Amino acid sequence: MIKVEDLSVRFGQKEILKDINVEIENSKWTCLVGPNGAGKTTFLRALLGSQSYSGSITDSGAEVYKNHDRNVAFVPQHPQIPIGMSVSEYVLLGRSKRDGWGNESKKSRALVADILKLTGLFGMQNQFVSQLSGGEMQRALIARALVQEPTLILLDEPTSALDLHHQIAVLNNIELLKERGVTIVSTMHDITLAAMYAEKIVVMQEGRVLLSGTSDFVIHSPELQVAFENRISVFTLDSGRPVIVAKKDLPN
Amino acid sequence: MKKLGSEGVISPIWNWKITAVSFSLLIFVVFLAISFGPVPLEFQKIIRTLFGLPGGLTGQERTLLIDLRLPRALLAAIVGAALATSGAVYQTVFRNPLADPYLLGAAAGAGLGATIAITSAGADLYSLLPIFSFFGAILAVLVSFFISGKFFAEPNSLLLSGIAVGSFATAVQTYLQQRNSSSLRPVYSWILGELTVANWQKVIWSSTYIFIALTILITVSKQLDGLMLTDEESYSLGINPNRLRVIAVIAATLATATAVSASGLIGFVGIVVPHLVRGITHRVTNRGLLTIALVGASFLVLADLGARTLLSPAELPIGVITAFVGAPFFLVVLRKKRLVSQ
Repeated sequence: MIKVEDLSVRFGQKEILKDINVEIENSKWTCLVGPNGAGKTTFLRALLGSQSYSGSITDSGAEVYKNHDRNVAFVPQHPQIPIGMSVSEYVLLGRSKRDGWGNESKKSRALVADILKLTGLFGMQNQFVSQLSGGEMQRALIARALVQEPTLILLDEPTSALDLHHQIAVLNNIELLKERGVTIVSTMHDITLAAMYAEKIVVMQEGRVLLSGTSDFVIHSPELQVAFENRISVFTLDSGRPVIVAKKDLPN
Repeated sequence: MKKLGSEGVISPIWNWKITAVSFSLLIFVVFLAISFGPVPLEFQKIIRTLFGLPGGLTGQERTLLIDLRLPRALLAAIVGAALATSGAVYQTVFRNPLADPYLLGAAAGAGLGATIAITSAGADLYSLLPIFSFFGAILAVLVSFFISGKFFAEPNSLLLSGIAVGSFATAVQTYLQQRNSSSLRPVYSWILGELTVANWQKVIWSSTYIFIALTILITVSKQLDGLMLTDEESYSLGINPNRLRVIAVIAATLATATAVSASGLIGFVGIVVPHLVRGITHRVTNRGLLTIALVGASFLVLADLGARTLLSPAELPIGVITAFVGAPFFLVVLRKKRLVSQ
C-alpha cells in the first residue's frame, strides 16, 4: 500500500501539487486523469522518489525518496531514445536494478528473450530502438519494465501517441504486469480506456485531487462533470462498459 | 550483430575479446612506432633492451629508444586514450553524438590557460603549462555550468553555453597571441599539437592524472548507459543521474585538460575513435569505454608515427595528421550513419 499524505510540490513560486491525500492499493491499477497541467506527471515523479516534495509518501511504510532498494519501473511519455542501441540491449537495461549495472546473468538474458516473445518484439531484437514505430517503442518500454520485475510501475500517458489498435495492445501488455502482482499507476487522457482497465481512478485538477474511488464510482459521479467543466457525456454500453465522450456544444 | 542463441538467450552486451584484441593492437602499434624512424631499430633488439636481456641496443640507439621514442610513443598513447575516452563520455552525458572534449569549452579553456602561461611566463614555460591548462579547462567547464543556469536541467543548454565559452576563450587566446608576437611561434606550434617535447617527466605526470581520470570513468562506465535514458528512467534503474553526470564530467575534463597541457590541441580523436569502435562493434554501450581508450591510444601513436616519418626529417604537427584523417572520416560517418536523430 502506498500512502500519500499532504503531498505538495513547488517549482519556485508555483505550486504544482497541493495537499494530496490518496491511498494506492497493491496489485491494482490506479489511473490518474485530468486536464493538461493538472500535475499528473509531477505526481508520478513524486511516487518514484526522484521529485522533492513536502508531506509524505510511504510505500510499505518507508518514505519513498529514502528507500533506494525499492524497485519501481518508470515509463515516460517522451522516452529518451538512445541512438545506436539495439532493442535487446534496451530491454536488458531493465535488469540493471536487480542484477546491478553491467552484471546481467545468463538467466536475465533468457528472461529478456522470453519477454520479447511475450510483447511481440521477438525478431526485432537486433534492430535499433530508434528504428521502432511508436507502438513498438511503447512495447519495448513495457518489455523493459517487465524484465525489471518491479513492485510498482509508473506509466506516463502510455497510450497517448498510439492508434486505437496499438493502444489496446499496449494496455494488454500492461495488464500482464498486474497479473504478476505489480502495482500500476498510470496517467491517461482517455477516461474510457481508464475505466476499462483501471480499478481505481483519481481525478486531478490544478494540482489537487478532485475525486477518487473505484472506476465505476468516479465515472458516474457528478463531480467528474465538474472537473471537465460539463464537457463530457457518460454512456453505458449494453455490455455495461462505460464510454465517456466529449460534448460538441460548449457550456454557456 | 547480436544473435539470439539456440537456448533463447540474448547474447552478452559486450564481448571482452574485442577489448583483448584492441589491447594487442596497442602493443603492436607501440612497437611499430618505436622501431620506425630515420634510424630504424630492430624489433628483437628493442625487446632485449626493454627486458634488460643481453644483446640489446647500445650507445646512441639505446638513448634514441629510451629517451626519445619510447616516452614519445607512450605520451601519444596516454593522450590518445584520454581524448577518445572523454569524447565518448561527453557524448553519453550530453546525449549528443557530436559532443567531444572541445565542447564544454574544456579544450579551449585549457588552450587559453596554456597561452597565458606561454605569453607571460617566458623561459620557465613547460613547467607552468599543465597547471595553467588544467585551471583553464576547469574554469571553462564551471563557467559553462554557471551560464546554463540550472545545472543539469537541460543537457543541450549546457552544450550551447560550452560552445559560447569555448569561442570566448579562443578569442581571448588569439588576442593574447597577437599582442605577444614574440611568442607567436611557440603558441602556434603548441596549438597545432605536438609531442616532440615528450620526456619521461611529462609521461609520468600526465599518466598519473589520466590514469586517475580513466579509472573513475571506466568504473562508472556501466552506469553511464543509464544516462542515455530520461532522468526518471535512470533513477528507477538505480542511478542518481545528476551525481553520475558530475563525476563523469569532472573526470573527463581532468583527462582532457591533462591531455591538452601535455600535447596541445589535438582534434578529432574524441569524435573519430568512439564512433569507429561503436561502428565496428555495433555496440553503443559504455562497456566499450576501455576499448575506446585502447583504440584511441593506438590511433594517436599511429598519427604521431605519421607526423614523424611522412616528411622526415621534418616533422608535421600531429594535429594536422589527426585532422587530415579525422575530418573526412567524420564527414563520412556523419553522412552514413545519420548520427543526429531526426
